[in-house]
Amino acid sequence: MIRQYLRVVRAIAAKDLLLEARGKRRANGAAVLALLIVVIFSFVFVRRVDEQAVIARGGLWIALVFATTLALSRGIAVEDDNAAIEGLMLAPVDRSAIYLGKVCSSAVFVTAIGWVTLVAVTVFLGTPFEPALLVQLALVFPLAAIGFSAAGVLLTALTLNSQVNESLLPVLLVPLVVPVILAGIELTSLAGGPFWLSEWFRILLVYDGTVIVTGWVSFEFVIEA
Amino acid sequence: MAFLSLSTVSKYFGPKVGVEGISIDVNRGETVLLFGHNGSGKTTLLRLLATLTRPSEGTISLQGTEFSRDRPTQRGELGFVAHETYLYEQLTALENLRLHARLHGVDPNRCEAQLDAVGLTDRGNDPVSEFSHGMAKRLALARATLHDPALLLLDEPFTGLDEESLLRVTDQLRELEETTVVFATHDVDRGFRYADRVLVLDGGQLVRDIDTAQCPGPDAIKQQYVNAPRQS
Repeated sequence: MIRQYLRVVRAIAAKDLLLEARGKRRANGAAVLALLIVVIFSFVFVRRVDEQAVIARGGLWIALVFATTLALSRGIAVEDDNAAIEGLMLAPVDRSAIYLGKVCSSAVFVTAIGWVTLVAVTVFLGTPFEPALLVQLALVFPLAAIGFSAAGVLLTALTLNSQVNESLLPVLLVPLVVPVILAGIELTSLAGGPFWLSEWFRILLVYDGTVIVTGWVSFEFVIEA
Repeated sequence: MAFLSLSTVSKYFGPKVGVEGISIDVNRGETVLLFGHNGSGKTTLLRLLATLTRPSEGTISLQGTEFSRDRPTQRGELGFVAHETYLYEQLTALENLRLHARLHGVDPNRCEAQLDAVGLTDRGNDPVSEFSHGMAKRLALARATLHDPALLLLDEPFTGLDEESLLRVTDQLRELEETTVVFATHDVDRGFRYADRVLVLDGGQLVRDIDTAQCPGPDAIKQQYVNAPRQS
């Protein structure tokens, strides 16, 4: 039973990544949006603000959150075509498997957007990131991506049948992921001690855990509505 | 014990009635045609049987066990072809079938045979976006029968199909002797040929349960119900 459940999670995640690799519906839009936000940041702030590192951190996470919102919104659109999500709902396992599968694929995708945005920030804001910070971000990006995806997949499922899906998602998602944004900004700097002992890292872990459990428990009710 | 049993099943969408007070027993291997005007509750009833929506009142049991969120494995007994195909347009026919094989724990090697059964052998590596409506519908039937469901639910299986596709679909239906089939169609003539029973719905309520062996033919049903005024 658990093996079949995990098989469904893996099948759904693999299907999403295959669809993305083939159509690049999300990647192109999200990458271009992230790039545009970073470019606008560079025009507005680079010559006017002294603390470049602060601008770089803010630009990175603001670009990432809006690119993620766009990506999540397009990610659920593919399930709306031909009502494909209902085909997944017929699988003989608990429907939370659909949730976990989509969170996994979205988290991989959002992590990738994070690295693309980081490159854009380095190039356009002229802020080099130290190797130690890159190692730190190698853990922070996936954890933040899980937080964004866990909240985003639940909200997109909630708004699946809504006519205002595209516009409603940012309105609901951005306030909900404020802890991830704040933790991400704080963890995009070298504080001196081990970052995994910082309170922001703990906040990120607790947030991820809380939202995943909430989504896992409630997804079946949300998707049936 | 009936294979499929509905006991006073109702579904309400706010103040609107989807279906109301439906009680029927269906035996294993029976083919049941749901017939009624648009909005009579056929699709709602099929979606309830597919567990895509839950009844507001009443219970649905399959082989004596009530449908419940706690028993998701029951869905392994169900196959559903809805108005929509449930297919991913950017995936090929084979990729779509392999995905559903994994969802149902079926050997993915069965997918080629399924494609063959619906006459799409040569199109297995083509994306579904290049398929005609009839081909997509045949592929949807292959998807729904991939795991040999004991209960097959079909919503308007004949709509929009050309002659070749109609023949393929009807051949497939004929081969499902062991399978209990519940299907909805406006094509009474064609549906009557396959059905053991016709359930006539009107205004969300079951108004007639007709044994096709005791019925003179589809014209009698059409005369009585197609031209009859609708219930509100």
